[in-house]
Amino acid sequence: MTDDAPTTDAGLTTKAVPPPRARRKIRLSSSLRELWSARELVRTLAERELRARYSQAVLGLAWAVLTPLVLMIVFTLFFRRVADVDTEGAPYALYAYLGLLPWTFFSSSVSLGGQSLIQNLALLNKVYCPREVFPLASVIVAALDTLVSTAILGLLFVITGYAPRLTTLWVPVILVVQLAFTLGVAFTLSSVVIYLRDLRHLLPIALQLGLFATPVAYGIDAIPKSLHVLYSVFNPLAPVIDGYRRTVLFGQAPDWDLLLPAAGTAAVVLVAGYLLFKKLEAGMADVA
Amino acid sequence: MSPDGTIRAEHVWKRFRARLGRMLMRDQLAGIGDRVRRSSADPNRGWRWALQDVDLRIAPGEAVGLIGANGSGKSTLLKLLTRVMYPYAGDIEVKGRVGALIEVRAGMHGDLTGRENMFLYGSLLGLGRKGVAQKFDEIVAFAELEDAVDRQVKFYSSGMQMRLGFAVAAFLEPHVLLVDEVLAVGDASFQQKCLDRMRAVISQGATLVFVSHDLAAVQSICTRGVWLTNGMVARDGPVNEVLGDYRQAIEKRVVLQSHADGPVRLLKMEVAGGDGGFPRTQGPLAVKLVAQSDDARFARVSIGITEGPPTPVFVISRDLNLAAGQTEINCLIPRLPLARGTFFVWLCFQDRDGRELLSWQPAGQIEVAGPVLDFAPRAVVRLAPVHVEASWEVGR
Repeated sequence: MTDDAPTTDAGLTTKAVPPPRARRKIRLSSSLRELWSARELVRTLAERELRARYSQAVLGLAWAVLTPLVLMIVFTLFFRRVADVDTEGAPYALYAYLGLLPWTFFSSSVSLGGQSLIQNLALLNKVYCPREVFPLASVIVAALDTLVSTAILGLLFVITGYAPRLTTLWVPVILVVQLAFTLGVAFTLSSVVIYLRDLRHLLPIALQLGLFATPVAYGIDAIPKSLHVLYSVFNPLAPVIDGYRRTVLFGQAPDWDLLLPAAGTAAVVLVAGYLLFKKLEAGMADVA
Repeated sequence: MSPDGTIRAEHVWKRFRARLGRMLMRDQLAGIGDRVRRSSADPNRGWRWALQDVDLRIAPGEAVGLIGANGSGKSTLLKLLTRVMYPYAGDIEVKGRVGALIEVRAGMHGDLTGRENMFLYGSLLGLGRKGVAQKFDEIVAFAELEDAVDRQVKFYSSGMQMRLGFAVAAFLEPHVLLVDEVLAVGDASFQQKCLDRMRAVISQGATLVFVSHDLAAVQSICTRGVWLTNGMVARDGPVNEVLGDYRQAIEKRVVLQSHADGPVRLLKMEVAGGDGGFPRTQGPLAVKLVAQSDDARFARVSIGITEGPPTPVFVISRDLNLAAGQTEINCLIPRLPLARGTFFVWLCFQDRDGRELLSWQPAGQIEVAGPVLDFAPRAVVRLAPVHVEASWEVGR
């Protein structure tokens, strides 16, 4: 919209007093109902992102697998030599890969989801839909990528001849914590980035640091035991990754003393992130 | 509960940042410091009102043309109606499914084919896969994209993209169809087709809100006109009355804006009818110009009559030689073919190679007295307000 000198063509003058600003009520239940009714849109958007990505790339699905695979190889070849990691008898490649799967999912959810609104500004500014469909579709795309990478995990088990333990059945519980935290961060970042565009350049650096601040290449035991709970509250991914290793590789139950605080953080981040998103949603088209 | 297709906007206000910074962290941080320091200052400082106290009620089946200058708030109002934006204050209610065509490439993804985009756009507008699939053939046929539907949209021309977007929006059986200045991209025959389609949508009982600077198109399709100025509703009424007022107002503004500065300057222009009075339909019109040139030169003068926008109803030109200093030019049109109304006289001087000595600009206004222009039938776009003398004979 262009700036326009005040027009007096019709003999109108500027109204003196604007009314007080109307507060938009945010109701969690009706927002979720609307999101549910837009599920087909989420599917279409995820499909669009996948198609647009893979119609150009020759390697196609291989891209999805490449990131955790390459990191796993790098960790196995180099990190292993520098630091002494106690894998309790499990092959280090499996140990690292099991940490890399949730981490890669988190990292690509956050970087895809964080940019999802900015990349869809053209749409945001012209068509109405519940805006959370965009980060949600990105997280779904990241989840599909992770699913493909998980197939490699099966292959690793075969190659190393190491069998997953029965306690693997705990995985869905841990997965809920992981998903909640990842979604919450994706909602928060995507909405904030619209207003603070330079955050986008900070994001890759933050994720780089996050990879080392999270027990991906190493175990949670590298942190002093007295700090474990605090660490789990601030980085819920730590007990999540630790939980996967305990259940899948070591045949133990998840460490509830750590996983429960992490679940608390994840729940707070998810609800607060979603509410923040709904709050910031109102002004998105104004600054787009 | 009001029926589907009802639009209700009550005391709607909307503001934007006057200077939309770069949305960077450091700008925002600086802004916070600013706010703390001047906490008692006017809370609306740095904001510009785009809509002020707009009240609008549209009943199902109405066809409303939204007109106004650039920046008058038309698109903002439309975006509020689609819920893309939220009002600062006031209530907005739009009942039923909304088909909106806000911009040509809205919702199109270049890397996807026309078919894939159709489904994406359909789900954006709240229609499921099944709904789009049912209408698929109809949409493709309307958009004339049979050969291109499986091609990536980035290889479409802008006209093809517009056709696809319009066809999807207009064939979804919307209760409310919002169309913002997009038809200009299509060629003439497709524009006509779009106007026909909009009429069909209205006749099925849907509500239309049509934003356009093409006043003839607005007149041909809408029954009600809403003229926005400076974010306020200036006129709201039958489309012919509102458009009439609007045309006069834009002409008056153009007069105030014209400046002349170049190798040839216009010192004076007088326009008069017979005996120096008002010009009349099919009567004489005398134009007297006094031009000043720095040196003696060849020039071609063109005089055009417009109805508002710079597109003339007709142009008359003449090659002549300008003396150094002032030259008086008189032009007489013995029988002025214009109907009653307010018109504007535009003017331009060019040299032998077509370079502008004085650019095309408005120089004066005339009121033509005479018969009112006959109304064109609905669904017909009349281009020029020309009065043609005719004698009729009706017999058996």
